[in-house]
Amino acid sequence: MSLRVLVLGADGFIGGHLLAALAASDWATPIAAGRRPRAASADDSVARLQFDATDQAALTHALQGVDAVVNCISGNRLTIESSARALLAAAASQPRPPRVAHMSSMAVYGPGDGLVSESAPQLGKHAYALGKIAAEADCRRYPQAVVLRPGIVYGPRSRHWTDRVGRWLLQRRVGDLGAAGDGCCNLVYVDDVVSAIAQCLRRSDVAGQAFNLAMGQPPSWNDYFVTFARQLGAVPVARIGRRRLKLETRLLAPPLKIAEILLSKARMTSISLPEPIPPSLLRLWQQDMRLDVTRAEQLLQLQWTSLADGLAQSARWFQAARAPGGARTQ
Amino acid sequence: MILDANNLAENGTLSADLCIVGAGAAGISMALQYIGSDIEVLLLESGAFEQETDTQALYAGSVANELLHSAPDRYRQRRFGGTTTIWGGRCMPFDPIDFEQRDYVPHSGWPFAREVLLPYYPAANRLCEAGDFSYTAATSFRDGGRPMIEGFESPCFSSDTLERFSCPTDFGRRYGERLRAAANIRVVMHANVSAIRLRAAGDRVASLEVRTLGGKHMEVYAGHYVLATGGLEVARLLLASRDIQPDGIGNQHDLVGRYYMCHLAGTIGALRILKPASAVHHGYEISEEGVYCRRRLALRPQAQRAQRLGNFIARLHHPRITDPAHRSSVLSLLYLAKPFIPYEYSKRLHGDEHASLAGWLAHLANVVTGPFEALGFAWHMLRERKLAERKFPSIIVTSRANLYSIDFHAEQQPEASSRVLLDDARDALGMPRLRIDWRYTAGDVDTVQRAIALLAAEFARTGVGRLDYDAASVEAEMTRYGAYGGHHIGTARMGSDPRSSVVDSDCRVHGVDNLYVAGSATFPTSSQANPTLTVVALSLRLAAQLRSLVRADAAVAIIEPSAAPAAAAALTAGATP
Repeated sequence: MSLRVLVLGADGFIGGHLLAALAASDWATPIAAGRRPRAASADDSVARLQFDATDQAALTHALQGVDAVVNCISGNRLTIESSARALLAAAASQPRPPRVAHMSSMAVYGPGDGLVSESAPQLGKHAYALGKIAAEADCRRYPQAVVLRPGIVYGPRSRHWTDRVGRWLLQRRVGDLGAAGDGCCNLVYVDDVVSAIAQCLRRSDVAGQAFNLAMGQPPSWNDYFVTFARQLGAVPVARIGRRRLKLETRLLAPPLKIAEILLSKARMTSISLPEPIPPSLLRLWQQDMRLDVTRAEQLLQLQWTSLADGLAQSARWFQAARAPGGARTQ
Repeated sequence: MILDANNLAENGTLSADLCIVGAGAAGISMALQYIGSDIEVLLLESGAFEQETDTQALYAGSVANELLHSAPDRYRQRRFGGTTTIWGGRCMPFDPIDFEQRDYVPHSGWPFAREVLLPYYPAANRLCEAGDFSYTAATSFRDGGRPMIEGFESPCFSSDTLERFSCPTDFGRRYGERLRAAANIRVVMHANVSAIRLRAAGDRVASLEVRTLGGKHMEVYAGHYVLATGGLEVARLLLASRDIQPDGIGNQHDLVGRYYMCHLAGTIGALRILKPASAVHHGYEISEEGVYCRRRLALRPQAQRAQRLGNFIARLHHPRITDPAHRSSVLSLLYLAKPFIPYEYSKRLHGDEHASLAGWLAHLANVVTGPFEALGFAWHMLRERKLAERKFPSIIVTSRANLYSIDFHAEQQPEASSRVLLDDARDALGMPRLRIDWRYTAGDVDTVQRAIALLAAEFARTGVGRLDYDAASVEAEMTRYGAYGGHHIGTARMGSDPRSSVVDSDCRVHGVDNLYVAGSATFPTSSQANPTLTVVALSLRLAAQLRSLVRADAAVAIIEPSAAPAAAAALTAGATP
């Protein structure tokens, strides 16, 4: 029997990949949910609902007859918290409460170091992390919830970790960062995240659990940058010195961010400024926290895509999207 | 974490599973391997983050012949990061032939083949920030890279092998924060090991005596001890620790400090390339990972065997800087900039000759008549060397006249009479100072003489160039600046026979169960290669071996007299604990 799976945030990076995988499967019937009308390029064989995911009444209605829900909603703290609360309340009100796969993040762990298992304290302090922590707290009160905490999700259509990094590599704004890039890059290829979600939907024995998701032998950020740069032909890879990184993150980033906000408010989207490299990224690139993924490997039986394969796919997408006539999905 | 011995308790004790003495390329590389493990590591460093005059002065000593060897406190740094703080960054692995026993190189042969070290070289290359472990042009460049000299194909010399350049990486600056953040690593600054104390039976180290220049004293107890203090200081520590073994530790056969090798290097001749200037690419290429790589003319192993020569490489070099007749504004600019170039580099750039006023004016004239070339060079060096984190490695001057000299770097043979020993003078901590008596042999001169002759013959045979040089001056040129600075090799040589070696193939001092030596002191032969990369690779191998040993022995090995009086009594009695 085919599972009816509602995908919240279906227009996003992970949601989009998940939707395609479910639609291609012989065990699931996906239903896409998003705030916006169906995009012209979207697969119109997939059913689509349009509503605000923080609207509990709309969610309650959308969940009727649904076997499982995947919450891929991203955004600011308020959106993360309110959409999770609305979803879990709506799910609990169903006669047969559906399985909920909730996409959280390794951000919940905060600034820790070393090997971090799912039971580690949640010390995240910034708004995004606090939103994810609050959403997870709600999940713990819903027995059918499964929480996934991916690290750095990359792959085709990843705006942050493939597209943005690729552009920075071409611009020689990142590269070999020396000690500033020694941190552990808890990469996970988007297809592996999709596989993990699929397992969470299909297995009855994982309800109430949380899973870290990252490749088994994660590279350092330097390794990630250098390997990706070589895949992209952005060679020779630049060595970015400490002075340059300080200049980028402390002097250039604040005015660039302000200009970005002002231009956005003024709807002057035709003017493109360099994307700022915020100081928070510099901290992330040095953070030596490594996700312990033993549980995901054992219970979800995941096999991680190798960095070489994942980056080859990512580079192909990146280059196709930048080729004349190539279109970015996001 | 990072501690300062001056802030620790007087007459206190420190204990750990593993104690590494010396935070240079070897010690830091080893300590990094244990981060996050359950092994408690103490990394003792004599200096601190910056050079300190009184600490550096502990390295002072004497040399038998000042013309042949620099002072012992030159070319090495007693501070966190060790001599990598002034490293030039040249990396290349030892060649397979270097590990072989060659009947034409006395005392040659490592106790293992290169394959044993090979698994550790890629990680060593990463720590040295030299990119991929790939040392041929064919494997380093997608298009194979440009040839060094178009049309030069020789059965004796290969120009396909590369040297790669580290940033150069100061291991202290680069990896200090990782050590500081590691809960199971304690780096102790200002901790000078002044004695290695063996237990009565002489078969194990009982403790290390640590003293600070501030007057503190403490004892360090560990299951295993590694001396990673560089090729000279390892010998000094072993020789100076004489309470149980009166000749010094591991010195029953009078081997510690002997077989001291550096490299034989110099610049010679006038090479005129009989090809268009565009046919010569003697400078740097940048690999995909952004690493500076340079081809060299390497004497092939089959030629070494056939000619019975030591290992040898040569590079195309600029004419001698000191002679203004080169008429190069760039070289004259370098000459005039001598006061701003560190001693370790200026020595081979400029020599120790004192310039006449006429010579100085001639150099000035060269600069004034070629100002744009000199300015372009100065800008390049400012941007790509001074300000860059990955630094342009050296001076490359392309000769419009197609004139070069030959810069050679050759293996020095092991020779027992070339040695370091203890002097009568003592340092501020009461340790005997070092005396260096470096010597070279007729075999060394023979290697350089005949290799250069072979190179000249190959240039002539292939028709790519003509190398004119004074064959009678080879010995003088290879010793013009004395032993190559900073390469301190062989003073605690490795081998399987205690009668001819100080440490075994695991770098463990023969007869002393828990004492190891990391670094170039253990190299039985010197290769043509600069030692740092192999120092790091060998240290990584030692770290891997010790990992299992430390775990197995931890329960019995750490014995502090205060904590375990019964065991201490057993130590004194020489019984097995």
